Amino acid sequence: MSTTTGTGLIRRTRAGRSHRPPPEAPEARPGPAEDGAGEPGRPARRRRARPPSLTRRHRHLGLRMRITITFALGAAVLSGALATITYYSVRSSVLSQQTNSLLHETTASAYLLKPALTAGTLQYARWLQDTQSSDASESLLYHHHRWYATAVAFSPPSPIPPALQQVVTHGGDAAQTIVVNGTPTYAVGVWIAPVRSAYFELFPLTTVLRTLHVLLASLLLSALVVTLAGALLGSWAASRALRPLHETAKAALDIAGGRLDTRLETDEYSDLAVLTSSFNRMADRLQERIEREISFTSDVNHELRSPLTTLAASLAVLEGRRDELPERSRRALDLLSAEVRRFRRLVDDLLEISRLDAGLSDLSMTEVPLGDLVRRSVAATSRPVPIHLGPGAEDGRVLVDKRRFERIVANLLDNAQHYAGGATDVVVSVDGPFARISVEDEGPGIPPEERERIFDRFSRGSSGRRRGLGEGTGLGLAIAAEHTRVLGGRIWVEANGSRGARFVVELPLHRDGAL
Amino acid sequence: MASRILLVEDDERIRASMRLSLEDEGYEIEEAASGEEALDAHARALVSEPFDLLVVDIMLPGIDGFASVRELRRTSTVPIIMVTARTDTHDVVAGLEAGADDYVTKPFEPKELAARIRALLRRARSGEGGPVSLVFGDLEIMPEAGVVRRGGEEVHLTRTEFLLLCELAANSGKVLSREQLLERVWSYDYFGDGRLVDVHVRRLRTKVEHDPSEPRHVLTVRGLGYKLAP
Repeated sequence: MSTTTGTGLIRRTRAGRSHRPPPEAPEARPGPAEDGAGEPGRPARRRRARPPSLTRRHRHLGLRMRITITFALGAAVLSGALATITYYSVRSSVLSQQTNSLLHETTASAYLLKPALTAGTLQYARWLQDTQSSDASESLLYHHHRWYATAVAFSPPSPIPPALQQVVTHGGDAAQTIVVNGTPTYAVGVWIAPVRSAYFELFPLTTVLRTLHVLLASLLLSALVVTLAGALLGSWAASRALRPLHETAKAALDIAGGRLDTRLETDEYSDLAVLTSSFNRMADRLQERIEREISFTSDVNHELRSPLTTLAASLAVLEGRRDELPERSRRALDLLSAEVRRFRRLVDDLLEISRLDAGLSDLSMTEVPLGDLVRRSVAATSRPVPIHLGPGAEDGRVLVDKRRFERIVANLLDNAQHYAGGATDVVVSVDGPFARISVEDEGPGIPPEERERIFDRFSRGSSGRRRGLGEGTGLGLAIAAEHTRVLGGRIWVEANGSRGARFVVELPLHRDGAL
Repeated sequence: MASRILLVEDDERIRASMRLSLEDEGYEIEEAASGEEALDAHARALVSEPFDLLVVDIMLPGIDGFASVRELRRTSTVPIIMVTARTDTHDVVAGLEAGADDYVTKPFEPKELAARIRALLRRARSGEGGPVSLVFGDLEIMPEAGVVRRGGEEVHLTRTEFLLLCELAANSGKVLSREQLLERVWSYDYFGDGRLVDVHVRRLRTKVEHDPSEPRHVLTVRGLGYKLAP
């Protein structure tokens, strides 16, 4: 049976076998005494196996951002170049066209004027008015060294620049862009040869210029739009291109988290077939290896149980007949009993841990009042530790597997006994949506640099730890941490005021109907 | 008179040591090294002196422990304690559904096993001064006599199933939690395994309900426990 998670991932689950985490336990959040993606109490091998995350580079621009910016810049440059080329070619074409047509118009007007000039009549102003091109705002006539214009608003010198005047009076037709009263104007001049006169017309350029401005604005706007589109395209292309990488990273994280049968789909990204198939092969080998290890451990542990059963039963018989034994035999029997007990605890712990590893342990969750749970769990350990309940702790309700909770408490109390001279207090408190159960001691305490490692398997901390009689197996805290994780809680150790350690187990409170 | 216990275990040293420790507790022990031997011994004993309790290891050669228990249950309601190697769901529930009354996990302290045996052999009847017969629809329960009838026909319940039914009947209409049932029927404390109750309720339903999937007598009250409809 295979299920697809998200896109591109196939998870094959074998019937009846799912590795942790179990479905009912909510995701454990990181505790205060550890880094980002790890969880307290997880063995070191898991931290080393954490693959790099693509989204974690905040100091440099991410790959996706860089691709997006490249696309945007490319689009900007291209559209900018296009806009510029378009604008300038349109502009020069418009302007040159304009030159021709206005010249044409002025020539036509001059032609109309010619007969009147030849005839020598003097009503220049009126003629100028009549013959002026419709587009011209003004026309001027230079005739017999005198200026005539339709409007008398021109004060000498005439608005016609000397250079233009010079060219036209020497017999050529010419034009020039000038500024008249702040308005850009096109001045066109033609030479009327028969009467040796220069005829000028002034065409305001506002319309043309406005049109060109509109053109420029719309070209710039479209360049902007294209740039944005480029950025969006870049972003989309980047995410599509990076998706297989994200999925590979996610698959790797899933595998590191225990879902050993996670695989990548191979057909979707044919270019990346090499990546996906080698990833899948690696995952296959890994899963094989881990499962072999787990079943080996489990088989070994299982095999240990049979001889232990015989040992326990036989010892019970001997202990029942202790009085019948001579002194030396009795001492030998005591040693034997103590060691078998210790051995039995070790095997129990190993078995518990390997069951947790294989995800084979079932959970039987019930909702119970906190105060009762803690009292009974402490009582089951037969250790007379005072219990203090804070406000709301007595009736707060938690959803737990009672046996596992009892194991957590038992392991913490055992640990305190073995390394800190015994637990001094058990404190139960409620803080917002969480319940906290603290086991406090007044022993040597745990130095800050060891507060994470101490939950590792077989770690016993540094100096200050003595091997006493009947000391622990080295697995107690690791087991407590695993059980806590499975119950959806957190566990950590902090200083107990000025001396000793405080181990804290935090569990979410259970509200009716809420999970 | 000492209670007779049949010990079914293939590992001979475990068998020998268990025999020693259980005999110290005052029980009379007979051994069987396989499922077949166990069925033989049981059948033979029925004729002369039946066993009071069986301790059966699930890991047996030939017919495994589950099959042996199922076979035994076809004709007998003798109390059975199962010895399992692991406490994961599959083994324990399978054993309980096959018909076991309780279980211990290897390695166990002999005292644990002795306590479980004592609890099962308890002769405590809840009947002194109680009603002779309780009737619930087509179900008739007679605690003193140890008899249960459905629609007039006698129903064969194991000791544990019977005690469970009596407990529910004595509190008919009231909800009993798993913890309460574990304590009263199995003498377990707070940390008892709730699955014992769940599987036994299932087994009870197959015997006393007309349609076990739609129970009308033994009802589940979600989140709280079980009750017998009045």
